[in-house]
Amino acid sequence: MTVRPPTLRDRRRYLLVRVDPTGTPVDQKELYYAISDSVTSLFGDVVAAIMVQAVICAEGDRHIVIRCRRGTERELATALSTITACRDTRIALRIIAASGTIESLRERLRQKTSGNAAADGTAETTPAEDVTGDGAPVSPVPPGPAHGDLTFGGKEYLVSNCDGQKVDVIEKGFKNTHRLFLTRSDLEEP
Amino acid sequence: MKITDAAVWPYPAGDSSVRRLALEARELGFDSIVAIDTPPSTYEGMEILSGILVREGGMKEVMSRVKRAKGTHAVISVQAGDAGFNRAVVGLRGVHILRGIHAADKNGFDHVTAKMAADNRVAIDIDISALIAARGIARQRALQRYRDVMVLENRFAFPLTVSSNARSVLDLRATREISGLLTLLDMDLPVIERALNGVDVVTTPVPSPVRVIP
Repeated sequence: MTVRPPTLRDRRRYLLVRVDPTGTPVDQKELYYAISDSVTSLFGDVVAAIMVQAVICAEGDRHIVIRCRRGTERELATALSTITACRDTRIALRIIAASGTIESLRERLRQKTSGNAAADGTAETTPAEDVTGDGAPVSPVPPGPAHGDLTFGGKEYLVSNCDGQKVDVIEKGFKNTHRLFLTRSDLEEP
Repeated sequence: MKITDAAVWPYPAGDSSVRRLALEARELGFDSIVAIDTPPSTYEGMEILSGILVREGGMKEVMSRVKRAKGTHAVISVQAGDAGFNRAVVGLRGVHILRGIHAADKNGFDHVTAKMAADNRVAIDIDISALIAARGIARQRALQRYRDVMVLENRFAFPLTVSSNARSVLDLRATREISGLLTLLDMDLPVIERALNGVDVVTTPVPSPVRVIP
């Protein structure tokens, strides 16, 4: 099959999306099915067929690029906001930007990352501190009984992510371990 | 305009502390949040309003809770029930928000209640968690109910509020995403802006029509 000339091709738009919480392993195929399910459930097969959405690539651990046909990005964004889980893992998709090219999204991501680093004064992040893996500045783990361990509400937790004021912790144990979303101020209180 | 999320559930009802919810809500474009059963405070420039939600116990319980909350500046919300209950709640001074219309009786919110809500400045809450988390017939019913509410809002212009009903930071949504979801209810931008500002409208005291000149 011959490739269509550029003037006859579909115009596409690309959405840069951040996957929350940090450190959640997301399979691109599973995410594609989750997005497809949400689009079909909210708008039906007709709009899903027009949209032609696809998960293009992952940028670092947290960001992904999703493609759709131009003019349907608003519907795709609405459908993305209805996604609450990806194969039994609770997630939230935060839309960062929309663009006509993947390269401009990558540039935007680079600017955002360097901007955050400059704002926090931690542009030189050592590899050990870079928990998120996307180059974002990561503050040191708050003090606890052991490195990365802390007690909150009478239970022991393990710090899973620490980003500025935000601290995500996971309950220690084998079964029924809950994840809590806290701040440094919560942990500093007696 | 003060963009407010009309109901969030911090730890221990949810898995996120009230400060973390405030921090995330600020990043998502909110100016304040109403945290249920939490004392009022301010964190990192975000205003955290105290919220009270009355879900059971009938009209007697509602009156009792409103009486107890007098002078606390808490935002009082009542879960909607049948038509009679809703009319009584909307007519009660001190109630700010009637929520859960999508889960109430089919004829629970009619034109009479809508007129009373407009006169008494009681807001009707749009719970976006019903649009996000539900699938199939449950979401269709919620969309249908809220569209019906919007028909009455166009006629009577009662206040609206928007709540994420978030028990986790993962349940919060950005204001732009909320706008996208609310357009599914045929709401245009000015109405969406008014709804996001709804808590400020219902909590601001109305100036008395009579002024005493000494």
